[in-house]
Amino acid sequence: MHNYLISGLHVSSEMELPGAVGQSSPPPVADVSVRRAAVPTSLGDGAERGPNWEMDARTVLLRIPRLARLLIAQGREIVVELHPGATEQDASAYVLGTAFGILLHQRGTLVLHGAAVARNGEAIAICGQSGAGKSTLAAALCRSGATFVTDDICAVTFNSDRRPLVIPDGRRLKLWQESIEKLDFAEQRGDAVRAGFEKYFVAPPSIMAREPLPLRAIYLLRQARPPLQEGIEAIDLAEAMAALDREAYRPVLRAKMDSIATAVGQGAMMMGHVKIFRLIRPRGFESLADTVSALLRHWDGLAQ
Amino acid sequence: MNAPGRIVWLASYPKSGNTWFRIFLANLAAGENGPTDINDLHERGGMAYNRTEFELATLLDSGLISHDDIDNLRPYVYRRLTPPIGQRWIKVHDAYMAAPSGEPIFGVPGTCAVYLVRDPRDVVVSFAFHNSMTVDDTIKLLNSTDSAFCRGGKGLEPQLRQLLLDWSGNVASWLDQTDIPVHCIRYEDLRAEPERHFAAALEFAGRIVSQADVQRAVRHSAFDELRRQEAERGFAERMSRTSPFFRSGRVGDWRGQLTDEQVACIEEAHAETMLRFGYALHTRPHVSSESLVKG
Repeated sequence: MHNYLISGLHVSSEMELPGAVGQSSPPPVADVSVRRAAVPTSLGDGAERGPNWEMDARTVLLRIPRLARLLIAQGREIVVELHPGATEQDASAYVLGTAFGILLHQRGTLVLHGAAVARNGEAIAICGQSGAGKSTLAAALCRSGATFVTDDICAVTFNSDRRPLVIPDGRRLKLWQESIEKLDFAEQRGDAVRAGFEKYFVAPPSIMAREPLPLRAIYLLRQARPPLQEGIEAIDLAEAMAALDREAYRPVLRAKMDSIATAVGQGAMMMGHVKIFRLIRPRGFESLADTVSALLRHWDGLAQ
Repeated sequence: MNAPGRIVWLASYPKSGNTWFRIFLANLAAGENGPTDINDLHERGGMAYNRTEFELATLLDSGLISHDDIDNLRPYVYRRLTPPIGQRWIKVHDAYMAAPSGEPIFGVPGTCAVYLVRDPRDVVVSFAFHNSMTVDDTIKLLNSTDSAFCRGGKGLEPQLRQLLLDWSGNVASWLDQTDIPVHCIRYEDLRAEPERHFAAALEFAGRIVSQADVQRAVRHSAFDELRRQEAERGFAERMSRTSPFFRSGRVGDWRGQLTDEQVACIEEAHAETMLRFGYALHTRPHVSSESLVKG
């Protein structure tokens, strides 16, 4: 059995999950189990259906073409049935990615599609669409001394004062080969996230956070092109509240499962606990160093 | 009773008037509030190559499944994009093709297509400026059946892969398929009589619009207006650092831009399709007698 601490949950897995950082000793009680077993082909007539998924009140069935069928149940269990010829390692990218994102939604957690880094005991999240450069920017920030917190799936919990906290995901950074070359991370490069794809696990260039950290601000990463001009700008409360819906990890799930968590998050914004900004930069690597310094300066300015 | 909603594919080879058509539709929607902002088009109907829409619908990480697996899922993603009523116009540059599963990617039941075709010699000139590519490399792109956008490499491409085929292949794939109804407009005709041809396309798609509304939307989409807006505020879809997106739009621009050898190279590859759409050949490429009869 393999043991991991993923987004604050003790995970006990029959499969090795190469993207996750292993725990040496098993927890007394696992929050989540990952096992290999037969998965039904359908959830039956009552389920809602997407192109490759079915969903009912407690379960999500996810079909990953030519790789696996996954059943994610009650926020506690991920069952994996591999297609003939598929490997556990290839399927593990989806167990840790989409399936874990779904599972967190099932547990009512607020899940943002973004990376997070920390300094001086507080975190910022960088949200944006796939390919926007979230992980690359997070990696560059870590190189400038920030602590790595999460990549891609950013789970947020709330303390007793309703202040939002980012939970470290306990996973390695994932970067495309292009970013690895441009950021000079060749030595930290690990295995491919999925065989045949140019995306690799990368050991974070800084220490990894272990405990939940206060979420100071959320930056929405956007490409500089008309009408958006390069820079960091505040957005108004209405747009910020809408953003929390839109920047969720797979919003269709959020709408069905964790509307309470989102409402609490929106409340936290209204209380001024977390601010949302638009971070607008040109696509590509040319001005990445400038973006990093501008963001660090802006972050420092939030302290006042 | 309202007809059920449908997707209308706004299909074309690149640089054939697709953006102009989208701006016309945005101006139609804006009505008296136009001219619409050319940088506010993205929410209207969408693009078939949108990576985010794919991930929203499938929950999958689009960077970690193969292009072919994505193509197998695309018909089901598009089914979810079908509006309950009215038309949703979605831009497409892919050739009309079957996914590896055998299912046509764009053959979603109830859809139809408006296909824009433009003289490939003008397409080459416009495309070369747009991509900051040489004319010769652009001709290779138009002549290669293996052409694609965003085939990928070491990073995540901003769009899903799109197989274009060569220019003739792209045109024939949409106009010769029999799965869904298709309405063809030549860019040159649209330039010459925009009101007539925009109105005909809308009617084909099942949308009834008054002549006055079409006239106003055409006026608000005039090339000078687009050029003025781009000069003032830029255009989000511009690729080139040196050349504006709304550069010339002229019919027959190629005459001052291409060498005889370049024209011959295009005509040699596409004579049959060019003749089919009434684009008179400048050189005398070898064309089979059969295709001349068809033309």
